[in-house]
Amino acid sequence: MIILCRATLVALMLAVTAIAPAYAQEKTGLKPGFVLAPGTARIVLMRPSIRVGAQSTGGMYEPNADWTDQAKENIATALAKAQTGLGNSVVGYVEPVGAGSAKVAEYQELFGAVASSVIEYQFFKGNRLPTKKRKDQFEWGLGPDVRTLPGLDKADYALFITTEDHFGSTGRKMLQVFAAMARVPITAGVHKGFAGLVDLRTGELVWLNADMQMGGDVRDAEGADKRVRQLLEGFPGKPIEAPIAAAPAIASAH
Amino acid sequence: MRIPVVGLLLATAIGTSAVAADKRPPLPTYMQAYTPTTVDERGIWMEADERERVQRDSRSLVKDPALNAYVRGVLCRTVGEDRCRSVRLYIDEVPAFNAYMTPNGAMVVWTGLLLRVRSEAELGAILGHEFGHFELRHSLKDFKSHRTGTDVMAWASILIRNSANIQYSVVGQMYAFSRDQEREADMTGFQYLARSQYPSSAAADVWEHVMGEADATAIGRRGRAQHKYVAGVFATHPTDLARATYLRAASIEAHDVKRAVVDTHQAAMAKWLPVFLNDQIKLNDFGGSEYLLANLADGTGWSTPLLCARGDLYRERGNPRDLVSAAQFYQEAIGKGDAPPEAYRGLGLALLRSQQVAEGQAALATYLRLKPAATDATLIATLIS
Repeated sequence: MIILCRATLVALMLAVTAIAPAYAQEKTGLKPGFVLAPGTARIVLMRPSIRVGAQSTGGMYEPNADWTDQAKENIATALAKAQTGLGNSVVGYVEPVGAGSAKVAEYQELFGAVASSVIEYQFFKGNRLPTKKRKDQFEWGLGPDVRTLPGLDKADYALFITTEDHFGSTGRKMLQVFAAMARVPITAGVHKGFAGLVDLRTGELVWLNADMQMGGDVRDAEGADKRVRQLLEGFPGKPIEAPIAAAPAIASAH
Repeated sequence: MRIPVVGLLLATAIGTSAVAADKRPPLPTYMQAYTPTTVDERGIWMEADERERVQRDSRSLVKDPALNAYVRGVLCRTVGEDRCRSVRLYIDEVPAFNAYMTPNGAMVVWTGLLLRVRSEAELGAILGHEFGHFELRHSLKDFKSHRTGTDVMAWASILIRNSANIQYSVVGQMYAFSRDQEREADMTGFQYLARSQYPSSAAADVWEHVMGEADATAIGRRGRAQHKYVAGVFATHPTDLARATYLRAASIEAHDVKRAVVDTHQAAMAKWLPVFLNDQIKLNDFGGSEYLLANLADGTGWSTPLLCARGDLYRERGNPRDLVSAAQFYQEAIGKGDAPPEAYRGLGLALLRSQQVAEGQAALATYLRLKPAATDATLIATLIS
């Protein structure tokens, strides 16, 4: 870069002295009155955004390519497994090439922006917008044009999934211990994720589930199962939670 | 980017054996299809791959094949055919002077840069600098330096009472590290330029124009023009003055007298010049834009697009005296015979606001006649009736 500054002093200082915020937040939002009957809808899973890395002693994110690859594989397997419990068919999205790809990228960004707004201005009670204060006011959307995305004309819903993990390094955990002795609260690790369902006929966000402190180590299969279970908690139209072991049996019965 | 240590040593050895013939320091050894192996480097490449997807699908990307081929051509002529093949080039429509290269080999050039450089050689100087960052793997070194710095600060803030001094000195070192890398990339870019068909003095020219524009912007905003030789503690780059000075000194020392190359910069920019000028005018930087226009006119003379842009610049500031000047610039542009319909639109609006109603309406009528399908046709029509 020629001119632009890379990091400001403020950002650096913040990274070091980050204090754990209290997440007294709701995690799930559902459009009032929305029901999704099992076996009626075709859901397309958009390309999930998955980032996995470590957190350095000073709090910096260290992207890790191997962990991310493992997580992508594990989450895909876990999703395929969980699908049987969702009550509707979920198919992966085939990304368009050429002109359509820019539009898809824009909608991915838009979903991210809307989801962050929901988390900030609705799930966090003390920060609610005046129009979102009452219980039945879950009104968010990407606009009706989302249905014009290439390849979505035959689908009913789009499912977006984002996860981000920064696993605390040994150095970070040691720092945490010493910091605790000095009565300075320091977090080790970032594990956040959200999943959202968009009605492709109206562009409305009908369901969003977000958690800033998710469980499950996405680097192994078991952890990924747990993560996906948490991501899809409260998914509309989901039959009563069955034990995971029983799911394949149901699938084979069809 | 591609310098395994062995290769570097080898290059140094070859360099010393041929020292009698060539006093220039050797270039880094080039290696094709480099793949990162360490955890850190693989991580930052993965992130860069993701960002490149976004860049590739961005709406502000300039896809014009001719302009892309031109910029790539200049890069190839600067760093050499083999090196330039490893670069994916993206031109982004952002009206500021900047270019950057990601660790995985994607080069992003902002259109404000294309507007500001006046020749292939000046463009080559910047592209060579960016390629130098890539080849010397500066992103990785920067990442590691930041991590070490923040680690030290984190421990200091917990373990040492009044650790503020330590934190400041660590942060200072991180920025100093960044400035050293910029200087290193400047000199690597300079080496490319000196070995290319372009005169190496262009590298210093770029920074002199950047300083000139910064002065003009400051004066235009009623500030004070300031150029320091020494960068402040938190500067990520050496000062423009320092860069201009050491690059000028290097070019005098290199003494590379070259035959003048055919410069296609103006021709390649012709189609896009009005678009990029329009982006620049919208920045609301009267002093800087006026300097930029004069600088461009210094090379090509006051061409139609430059006159139209200058008219827009004065009309948008809109003092009574500016409107008179704006009308004159539009009229000069129209007098050249190849003015776009928008020149009549600008002229009409400037005249109307100068109380010359009849002349202004006549110019607007000409605009509507030349471009009946203009998006603002209805609005302009209301000004005539």
